[in-house]
Amino acid sequence: MNKPRAGWRRLSMSLGAGIVLVLTLSGCAGDDGELNTLEPKGTYARSIDRLFTPVGIIALVVLALVFGAVLYMWFRFRVDEHVEGDWPVQNHGNTKLEITWTIIPLVILVIISVPSLATLQKLNREVKQEDMTVVVVGQQWWWEFRYYLGDNAKSYDPKVDKLDGKKPDVVTAGQLVIPTGKDVRLVVTSRDVIHSFWIPKLNGKRDAVPGRFQPWKIEADNPGVYFGQCTEFCGLSHSRMRMQAVALTPADFTKWVSDQEAPYIPAAASDQAWLAQQKDVAAKKPLTSAKLPDPEITLADGSKTAAGIVTFRNICTRCHLLRGVNEDIYTAADQVSGAAPELTHFSSRTTFAGGIFRLYNADGTWNRTALEAWLRNPPAEKDAYAEGKRGMPNLGLSADQIEGLVEFLMTTGQVPNKDVTIPATEVE
Amino acid sequence: MTVVQPGLELTTGTNGHATNGHAKRPLGVFTRPQSTTGWKSWLFTVDHKRIGIMYGAAALVFFLVGGVEALLIRIQLARPDGKLLSGETYNQIYTMHGVTMIFLAAMPLAAAFANYLIPLQIGARDVAFPRLNALSFWTFLAGGLFLNSSWIFGGGADGGWFNYAPNSGLPFSPGHGIDFYALGLQITGFASLMGAINLVVTVINMRSPGMTMFRMPVFTWMMLVTQMLLVFAMPVISIALFLLTFDRLFDANFFNTAAGADPLLWQHLFWIFGHPEVYILVLPAFGIVSEIIPVFARKPIFGYHFMVFSGIAIGFVGWGVWAHHMFVSGIGPVAVTAFSMSTMIIAIPTGVKILNWLATLWGGKLRFTTPMLYATAVVAMFTIGGLSGVTHAMVAADTQQTDTYYIVAHFHYVIFGGIILGLFGGMFFWWPKAFGFKLSERGGKITFWTMITGMNLTFGPMHILGLEGMSRRIDTYSKGFGFEFWNMVVSIGAFIIATSVLTFLVNVVVSTAKYKKAKANGTYVNPGPDPWDARSLEWMIPSPTPAHNFDEDIEVHGLDEFWHRKYGYDENHRVVRIATAEQVAQKGDAKNVHLPSPSYWPIVIAVGLPIIGYGLIYNLWLCVLGGLLTGGGIFGFALEPPDDPDARGHHDDHDDHGGGELVTAPTSEIEEVAHG
Amino acid sequence: MADAATIEAPVAAAEHGAHRTSTGLSNNKIGMWLFLASDCLLFGALISTYLLYHDRISALQLGPDAVFDIPFTSVSSFVLLLSSLTMVLALSALQRGDIARNRLWLFVTAMLGATFVGGQVYEFTTFYHEGLGYTTNLFGSAFYTMTGFHGIHVTVGIVMLMSLLIKSLRGNLTKENAETVEIVGLYWHFVDIVWILIFTVVYLIEVS
Repeated sequence: MNKPRAGWRRLSMSLGAGIVLVLTLSGCAGDDGELNTLEPKGTYARSIDRLFTPVGIIALVVLALVFGAVLYMWFRFRVDEHVEGDWPVQNHGNTKLEITWTIIPLVILVIISVPSLATLQKLNREVKQEDMTVVVVGQQWWWEFRYYLGDNAKSYDPKVDKLDGKKPDVVTAGQLVIPTGKDVRLVVTSRDVIHSFWIPKLNGKRDAVPGRFQPWKIEADNPGVYFGQCTEFCGLSHSRMRMQAVALTPADFTKWVSDQEAPYIPAAASDQAWLAQQKDVAAKKPLTSAKLPDPEITLADGSKTAAGIVTFRNICTRCHLLRGVNEDIYTAADQVSGAAPELTHFSSRTTFAGGIFRLYNADGTWNRTALEAWLRNPPAEKDAYAEGKRGMPNLGLSADQIEGLVEFLMTTGQVPNKDVTIPATEVE
Repeated sequence: MTVVQPGLELTTGTNGHATNGHAKRPLGVFTRPQSTTGWKSWLFTVDHKRIGIMYGAAALVFFLVGGVEALLIRIQLARPDGKLLSGETYNQIYTMHGVTMIFLAAMPLAAAFANYLIPLQIGARDVAFPRLNALSFWTFLAGGLFLNSSWIFGGGADGGWFNYAPNSGLPFSPGHGIDFYALGLQITGFASLMGAINLVVTVINMRSPGMTMFRMPVFTWMMLVTQMLLVFAMPVISIALFLLTFDRLFDANFFNTAAGADPLLWQHLFWIFGHPEVYILVLPAFGIVSEIIPVFARKPIFGYHFMVFSGIAIGFVGWGVWAHHMFVSGIGPVAVTAFSMSTMIIAIPTGVKILNWLATLWGGKLRFTTPMLYATAVVAMFTIGGLSGVTHAMVAADTQQTDTYYIVAHFHYVIFGGIILGLFGGMFFWWPKAFGFKLSERGGKITFWTMITGMNLTFGPMHILGLEGMSRRIDTYSKGFGFEFWNMVVSIGAFIIATSVLTFLVNVVVSTAKYKKAKANGTYVNPGPDPWDARSLEWMIPSPTPAHNFDEDIEVHGLDEFWHRKYGYDENHRVVRIATAEQVAQKGDAKNVHLPSPSYWPIVIAVGLPIIGYGLIYNLWLCVLGGLLTGGGIFGFALEPPDDPDARGHHDDHDDHGGGELVTAPTSEIEEVAHG
Repeated sequence: MADAATIEAPVAAAEHGAHRTSTGLSNNKIGMWLFLASDCLLFGALISTYLLYHDRISALQLGPDAVFDIPFTSVSSFVLLLSSLTMVLALSALQRGDIARNRLWLFVTAMLGATFVGGQVYEFTTFYHEGLGYTTNLFGSAFYTMTGFHGIHVTVGIVMLMSLLIKSLRGNLTKENAETVEIVGLYWHFVDIVWILIFTVVYLIEVS
């Protein structure tokens, strides 16, 4: 009877020690994860961290006390069998003691509620920012960022925004570009289901609720790429709905804005003239039901960029807008959400398809393979209900069409500075 | 002075109904079910003990189903870019894991304890409405099977157990999974509501003489609070599910954002139910722990009144914290602040409970049997869940934590560390009372230690994953975020938990086989009425509990009545024995006790409900069929006298002459029998 | 307490549910009170939903002020209120042992309830023809769902009243089990009170 008991005690002891070890290790773990909430890189994330850390420590102390008490009693008061007549003092309670330990937690909670509410206050204070407002729009399964700048930011009113009327100055997708050291006013909303916008190193999250335009804000201390992930379950590709905040120095940011504001203009003069002619033809032609130009219009000079433009105008216009290329024929995206990523200055971004694939390799070269694979069969790369108009369908593009599109898309924007904006981590 | 049958519709009516054709043959067709053995006696039983056992068995089966779903999730997430499940399947599996574990495993397992123990702890012969009790069980089972049948009909719900609108709407979830979710939970909701009303009436009205409210065991008190919460919480989720169903099936606009609907309506309705639901789950476990610890510490519960009032306080404050699930939904700074404060306040009564348990343990003679190990583990493990809870009561911190694995870790420490451990402890504790033999202690300890290791390996690292930014409800994750190592650990932990559950099942099978063998060859030793030297009334009757529970009413004089009948104090206030358990306990040999009669109708009504459900989804003619079954069942149920004097008394193992005679037995005779 | 009287008159006890209970109230009555408490939250959730949505309609759609016919609804509300009075009369008749009056008032109560439900059906039909369907807008969905749930409650009440009447005609409803009528009465009054609330919140405040 004694032997197995001793064995049990040894086993239980070692298991207990193992658990404590694991828990201790847990506390120390902290490899440099791109989403790590314990490595704040901006004002707000830092405030949160400064709140969480001390409270976390208090919680661990309380936990240690409770565990200590249990372990102490395990060794001190343990008996193998109850012996007839061997009874401890029968203590039915002690009102003073109980009132004391009702009040002590109350006091602790009141104390920690002070910094808690102060931090909350800080997070809730709306940015009174007159020169920049970014409307963050979630939809299955990517993020759109609509920039209102200067006077447009001043007159922007979330109460009347319907996401269609007043056009923003700049629209991007997947990557939110912000200047460093500045509180950026965000207005978070959604076009279909509820999503949640979260860049853990810069701030906590805010839900994107359709029909609601909710204030939030973000600030980054240093230039760099900060990862985010949609955190409200939003259907099939929820896990593949990511985004990055790209922080640039104020000077770089100003340049980025002016780049973005400009529409696309083909580099070669011959392509320019040809594109103008295409638009002319489209304007004169009576609109077809699909409002698409005649697919038989083909290019004259064999330029690959022009080939891409044709494909883009003929096929991609069904969903995508690229200012300078198809704003004359684009109406709305043929999607449940009514939107697809605007591709103006596409190649100035470093990821695509909901922030999950890299557009540039770590060495700064164009990631042709990923983009080609995507254009060949998007649903194979990222789960979507393409047939239900939620996500990009397989368009059955030919190899030539894909090549043309890739060549064309490469030229759509300023190549990003790889030291700042190309994520170090392999995303997918 | 006492009668054989306190409370209840137990008076032995004789010719009152005999002249009434309906009593004899309800609807003029059927006689009432009479079997006392075999499967029929289970299908038509109204005995709270059998219903309790059936609740437990069904809950364990669903627990295994939910467990398999959990393992699939963990295989998928063990490594980055898991390929075992498609995104679509994963979303269904994790949704059904949550739904199954909460509604079909944890709640009914607690209901099993409530049904079995409440009447015993308050000295009653059955619950207030025995037939309604049977109806609750069968309705629950029908709803649970209906929900899970969605796997056969094209896949489960895929919107998460919380099923936020508008993602749950037809445009975003065109399959039938969410219809099954809405209708299935509606059915189990009816079951919970009926059960709750029944048990509240039982506690309020069916107590033994002298059993005042503040002489009731803490378990019964916690169950009373739980059932009150259910009474008020179930209609809210009912409405939420109705609105969702009407949207999906009849094109209503409640969550149609295009028509101007506010998706937060669903969140409010869901969490007004959903947060009390957390306490609905955890309070029964608190009650079980409060029963186990005093027995094995040989001390009365420390601060009984504080324990009771903290439970009531949790019940009340539990209504004022729902929006802490919505801190980042955009409910406005004032609401956020208020809900943050109320959420912190609820930590206080919970803390009181933990400290009172510790104080009960302090200085006791702690005998770590399996139930005691579980109870102590609840104190420690629930504390982890409680403390992480305080860290997200702070809204600012919650904006980082919510919807990450940190939350998953938190509520699994509450649900597994609090509820499941408590319920397992309860099973080991009351097993001899229900079945007449103890589960193997050795096996129990193996189960306990593997379970505690497994759960900490599984849920402990989830804290880290959450803080590292791993989102909830994701079907895969990529390399490079630093999630690989801990996810592997978590998955290994999940399989250790699975092993522990397996050892429990082996224990049940082996212990049962041993018991049967011993019975067959005559070596069976009954554990006696009081195998643990316990304190409350259920231990004052033989094990297993006789069909009629108590031979006669127990006159209660104080808390821990049974203990005080066994022990007294000498002049130095030391505990001395004044009687053995066997001397004090009832013999369970009362004869000709008239018990509530079994009935066909509960199961008939319940069977109709899922058919109505299928009808709403597939073909309205099925609704007619189901409606006829349920409607006819209700009709029969209503016309049938609750206690049919024309039927045989139900199973009574001490009645040598067969129950049939009691039909004509005059009451006075029964009373004599009871006394004699 | 289960005293000698109970034991000597087992039949009566079985009939009336007059067993020893801890509170002295019957299980059935407490059960009904709990059900009604639960039902409060059911209607609470429905009325909240309605209040959230009633004005979320576009300018071109039919709203509450366009369809409500206050005089008509006032009359049917009055009919329902009157039925509470007749319910009280039915109970007190039975408590006095006046079975004939009890039957009369039970019947009148049921008929008044039926009149109310009929009025509701008429109202729904009218609204529908005016262009307010169940799926037309948020107001429509919320309005029909809320008042529909109430109408179902009234209908169930009518079924219970008719069952009492049948029971009475078979001679099974006597002074001794007046409590059954009392319990049905509790339900009936509750449904009336809910209607007063709905009528005030939905019809009167809305239009004024």
